[in-house]
Amino acid sequence: MDASLSDKRLLIVTGKGGVGKTTISAALALDAARRGRRTLICEVNTRERVSQLLGKPEVGPEITSLEENLWAVNVQPQEALREYALMVLKFESIYSAVFENRVVRYFLRFIPSLQELVLLGKILFHLKEKRPDGSWRFDCIVIDAPATGHAITFLSVPQVIVDTVPPGALSNDASWMRDLLVDRQTTAAVLVSLPEELPVNETLELHQALVSRVKLAPQLVVLNGFIPERFSQQDQEATASPLAKELMRAHAARVGLSLASKETLSRLGLPVVTVPRIFVNDFGRAAIEQIVKELEGGPRP
Amino acid sequence: MTPIRRAMETSDVLITVGSGGVGKTTVAATLALRAAMEGTGSMVCTIDPAKRLANALGLEALGNKEARIPDETFAAAGLLPRAPMHAMMLDIKRSWDDLVERRAPPDKRDKILNNRFYQALSTALAGSQEYIAMEKMWELHEQDRFPLLVVDTPPTAHALDFLDAPNRILDFLDNDAAKWLLTPALAAGKFGLKLFNLGGSYVAKTISRFTGTETLQQLADFMLNITSLTESFRERAHQTRSLLQAPTTSFVLVTGPMPERLDEAVYFHTLLQQNKMQVAAVVVNRVHAPVPDALWDEVARMTGPLQAKLEQTLKENDHLASQDAKGIARLRELCAPTPLVLVPRFELDVHDLKSVWETSRYLWGEAQVAVVDPSR
Repeated sequence: MDASLSDKRLLIVTGKGGVGKTTISAALALDAARRGRRTLICEVNTRERVSQLLGKPEVGPEITSLEENLWAVNVQPQEALREYALMVLKFESIYSAVFENRVVRYFLRFIPSLQELVLLGKILFHLKEKRPDGSWRFDCIVIDAPATGHAITFLSVPQVIVDTVPPGALSNDASWMRDLLVDRQTTAAVLVSLPEELPVNETLELHQALVSRVKLAPQLVVLNGFIPERFSQQDQEATASPLAKELMRAHAARVGLSLASKETLSRLGLPVVTVPRIFVNDFGRAAIEQIVKELEGGPRP
Repeated sequence: MTPIRRAMETSDVLITVGSGGVGKTTVAATLALRAAMEGTGSMVCTIDPAKRLANALGLEALGNKEARIPDETFAAAGLLPRAPMHAMMLDIKRSWDDLVERRAPPDKRDKILNNRFYQALSTALAGSQEYIAMEKMWELHEQDRFPLLVVDTPPTAHALDFLDAPNRILDFLDNDAAKWLLTPALAAGKFGLKLFNLGGSYVAKTISRFTGTETLQQLADFMLNITSLTESFRERAHQTRSLLQAPTTSFVLVTGPMPERLDEAVYFHTLLQQNKMQVAAVVVNRVHAPVPDALWDEVARMTGPLQAKLEQTLKENDHLASQDAKGIARLRELCAPTPLVLVPRFELDVHDLKSVWETSRYLWGEAQVAVVDPSR
């Protein structure tokens, strides 16, 4: 893993839809676990994919051990709200009486973004949890966060609540959550991108929005699906076949796009790690292991 | 006649749907451009287009208002449309404010606009983007200025958000439970009474442990003012719903051929059908072309290190094309009888009118994408 991330306790992985956030999250989490850090990987209210990618059975909304030092969970709003309410209310009977009341259910939907808050709240709560010996329950938490627009909304929620909701338990919780998110010692955002124009531009915009709106500083860019150089000038000249020349030209064009994307992304002033495009039929554990190796290499000069 | 062509002839509203990152906005722009070229005046309403595409359409100077794409922009791309094409970029917050300004009684207007809950509703609340997109669609359709309206939907995390948006907003504003909770406040509202006067209520007391009492007060205040809009929200929710289901409205579902996108597309397709909405076609975008046999043969005849590298490249290309072919076969089966329309992966992203036009040739059936035989 890149050195800038190795001491962070919360990694928030985001990017445009379809760039490979989940695979990069899984690889980062696996890597952290291998280094002996007790690691939790969180998917957020989505169709679960991490467990399958790592070749494990589905985990659902309960924190489940996948292998040594690695746990996974797919955080769901209903369960998270219940856990949160129980923490504040202490008693199950009160929870049922109040939270299963249909008036209250309605009401909770109206509190701006309460759903996002409890989802994020559950994750951040586990970040603060300690074991009986005083050590962290999880040394590192990786969030496979929603895509760009939703990520901004999701991560801004604590701030929105602090601004909207007058003092009370809710706004107190939102306030410590916001503080954790913006704490650079603890938290790092990882931006995942693809070597194509639109994802690269969106990465730049996402970076801007995270810095200015969420005050969350991204610390690493992962350029996924990178096409490394293959054909030299000599190769081009070694054949007279127009078809082969065209094949090499098309490949070189993709390489060019990869290099240009890297160049553009490096303007953010962050390390850019490239992960080459992986050609396998069943994208699973083997592919994730390969990505872990690539990430270990760190940013290339 | 190809499915997209038929849909364009029989519809006055086309809605592009699909998950984020599949090229939905490009397809929306393509449909509008093609319509204009064929002589049907069009309007494309997009939410958050990628900058280059916006620039290509001359959209950068646009705010929340529709504008005609200038003739020079077309001319520069060598295109001469037979009818005007309009485009707009929807500004969510502005559209909400417009809506309140238009419909709220004058004495409530500022109270709503300044309320913190309204601000959350109009910017952060899940479903508010989707709602406003539907609202705009209805408004534009009602104005009847554009023979074809193409509506690009926000990239939804959950397919239902978009179909449900009008109902969800209505549900917030006009809910039996809310009325029950607020009845004392609503009745006494104009006297400026302590609104959440539910001191004796166990439920209210417990909620206020989470939110603080003041929140409940503000929320009640908001509800009190926004109820003046409930009737028009209700009416609109019904109207949008019937517009979505109208025989002159068609959906174009956009997806990529890779497996994780496919499942979402199938799910979306099922939902649209369950909701009695017409899906004109599933557009599969960015399909990898198969490796021509001649190229395999040619590389097989070569020798040396270059041969190995070329063969590796062919294998990779073939891999991508076969994966796509498998995905397409699966999609065809699971979305039957909805027709599939394939658009190839272009070497560069579609970012100018010329490439939008090139894309339209595939939607129109003038050009075809070859697909590897998946049984191979």
